[in-house]
Amino acid sequence: MIRHLFKLIWNKKRAHSLLIIEIWASFMVLFGLASLLVHNLSNYREPLGFSYEYVWVVDLNNNQDTVAVAEKTQRIIQRINAFPEVASSSRMSDNSPFSANTMNNNVERGNRKTMMDFYVTDEKFADVLEIPLASGRWYTPADSIGKYRAVVINQKAKEKLFDDEDPVGQLLGDKPKGNDGSRQQKIVGVIDNFKAKGEFMTNMPAIFQQLDAKESYHKKILVKVKPGTDAVFEAKLVKAVTAMATGWSVDVDHLTESCENRHNLTLVPAIIFVIVCSFLLINVALGLFGVLNVSITRRRGEIGLRRALGATERSISWQFVGEMWVLATFALVLGLVLACQFPLLNVFDLASSVYVIAIIVAALIVYLLVTICALFPSRQAAAIQPAVALHEE
Amino acid sequence: MLTNYIKIAWKVLLRHPFYTFITLFGISLTLTVLMVLTSFLDHLFGTHYPELKRDRSIYIQMMTQLDSVRNGRSQGPMSFKFLTKYAKALKSAERVTICSMFNTSNAYVGSQKIDLNTKFTDADFWKVTDFDFLEGKPYNEQNIANGDYVAVITDDFKRQYFDNPSDPVIGKDVEIENIHYKVIGVVKGSPITRILTHADVYFPYTAPKSNYQNTGMRGNYIAIALAGDKRGMKAINDEFQGFIQRIPVPGDQDGFKYYALVVKSMPYLESFVGAFADGDSGLKSIFYGVIGFIMLMLMGLPAINLVNVNVSRILERASEIGIRKAFGAPIRTLLWQFIVENIFITFIGGAIALVLTLIAISLINNSGWIAHADLTINVTVFLVSLGICLIFGLLSGVLPALRMSKLNIAEALKA
Repeated sequence: MIRHLFKLIWNKKRAHSLLIIEIWASFMVLFGLASLLVHNLSNYREPLGFSYEYVWVVDLNNNQDTVAVAEKTQRIIQRINAFPEVASSSRMSDNSPFSANTMNNNVERGNRKTMMDFYVTDEKFADVLEIPLASGRWYTPADSIGKYRAVVINQKAKEKLFDDEDPVGQLLGDKPKGNDGSRQQKIVGVIDNFKAKGEFMTNMPAIFQQLDAKESYHKKILVKVKPGTDAVFEAKLVKAVTAMATGWSVDVDHLTESCENRHNLTLVPAIIFVIVCSFLLINVALGLFGVLNVSITRRRGEIGLRRALGATERSISWQFVGEMWVLATFALVLGLVLACQFPLLNVFDLASSVYVIAIIVAALIVYLLVTICALFPSRQAAAIQPAVALHEE
Repeated sequence: MLTNYIKIAWKVLLRHPFYTFITLFGISLTLTVLMVLTSFLDHLFGTHYPELKRDRSIYIQMMTQLDSVRNGRSQGPMSFKFLTKYAKALKSAERVTICSMFNTSNAYVGSQKIDLNTKFTDADFWKVTDFDFLEGKPYNEQNIANGDYVAVITDDFKRQYFDNPSDPVIGKDVEIENIHYKVIGVVKGSPITRILTHADVYFPYTAPKSNYQNTGMRGNYIAIALAGDKRGMKAINDEFQGFIQRIPVPGDQDGFKYYALVVKSMPYLESFVGAFADGDSGLKSIFYGVIGFIMLMLMGLPAINLVNVNVSRILERASEIGIRKAFGAPIRTLLWQFIVENIFITFIGGAIALVLTLIAISLINNSGWIAHADLTINVTVFLVSLGICLIFGLLSGVLPALRMSKLNIAEALKA
């Protein structure tokens, strides 16, 4: 039966080539769309790793004031913590969650090397963002004077550098050469996920270094406020901070808002893409439907003959649906040759499982599409009375 | 005769409403997507309020410092001092402005928080750009020299900050981060997509927190140089690149030792594509390649569809062609009939697309997705894409019909 269908199509390959091109092009568009959606969805399924409700980011900038910056920053933090509306606060580097800033660097261990996101935070970071520890502990004020610089890594970083080994207590990086006060890093804890750029971002390897309270460079403060705190308090906070340090700029952002902005960066293009693609597919479906309709009217004689020779209604409709499936398979083989290049050449740096799922999803949709388009005309074909059809002939 | 053809075309369209729908859907969908897309690109890169002189402006917005092996790089806007020395001194430019990238800030009114973008500019900024002043005037050299605490605000910010938005607000006070500024002018707001000129509040660069005193090469400032006419743009670029080449390398910037220094001075579109493709010609061609491929797919799929439907339907017309030939119609007349029919349906599709595009654009403009969005229909793009649809329609509708009209009458009648 299938061999027969192949033969039927091969005999009319010129007439069918346009159809094959059309199905091929729809497959490629669907493949692109599916890759994008599968990639984002598989990221979305990973837990975020921290909670950001009621957390504000206070961004300080000392501008032209260079006198005793570190001391002023510490005083500002003390002042913030003194407000009854503030539950807790933590000072960190510029790359706060959902911000546009990133810091990354290669981290080596023996002969293994991986790109990691770097965060410089103080001891209360895990507490403010409610990050659970998988093993070990978060660094404490006592660590700041130890022989090693205390760091915490995430699960992803552990996988890249340690496999099944327990990383807690291990050292990272080279021994410092000079006497410049830099210390070798020692891992004190491991956390699970940390998707700092939002739900749709890849869970990247991350390393958290303890912030030196006496340095003046990192001046972002995460402030966790008590529920129900509003803009009146925010105004009071900004006023208090600017009054303490003349010439400094203060910018307050709510993590819930910046998280939404981050998500929109992913969602808006995806939604536009989905809308455009679905219109394209409706267009293609209508076209296929029309072409099939025309070709069935033209093949009435053939259908009448088959019916007269004893073919059932069902086998007639299956013939047309089957023909479309064979056509779609031709197109898919062409499309697969192209689509397989993406995981093989590792374009766009996505996991190859994303492409595989995308190919499967796109292929399924293509088959579904041609089946729906073929079903109605094939029913019509099956309803043809052999006597009438043969009489016309 | 023409009215006759149109009458026939109309009857043909009505005979099979479903196929007519497919054809019209394909044509209007393609045109709509293309027009909305190009109108968005035009919104991003075209010459629009407040940068009405963008087509003759040179943008200097990014400095790249490369290390010895050209692997490590440090990139970003420049310091006020650097731009004053090299950009402000351009003799071939009619006028040069230096302004900061926008900073985020907040203002508070009662229990309301207003998210703000602030920008520090020089006095020339108001002459290089064409903001509509609804009230007051821009700050001038005198305000800057005095270090006045003045601000130009947008109508948007005025509406949010002041109780009675219909009252004039010139001379009134706004408080931002504990500093009081006097409102000197109110301008019509601009969309955030014009990121080099957009802000909610504009300050003279001598106002507090502008960091114009920074001594290094890098900072938060960019420059826009205005040429007298389009031909003058190359002269500005040449002069500026001459300055840049004379800067001694290697040098040191905040501990980053650089061995090469690149500061691009280019028209808006190039400076933007360059900014995220790193000015690398390979990446640039990939960028254009991807856009081209998407366009091809967007145009290609409906085009194949149109051709497909038309080609498979042409047999329907065989008997009609046969009868007309039998009554003595020459091939030329038949050809004309099909051409008119195709033009007719393409124009109907075009008209539908125009309406759909207008709806889509007004939806985007009013959705608040981009504040102050001012998307418009680009007539050239509309005509070009209408032309492309026509070509596909003619190829797929007229060519098979022509082939058929050359058949023998008897055969055509039989089919």
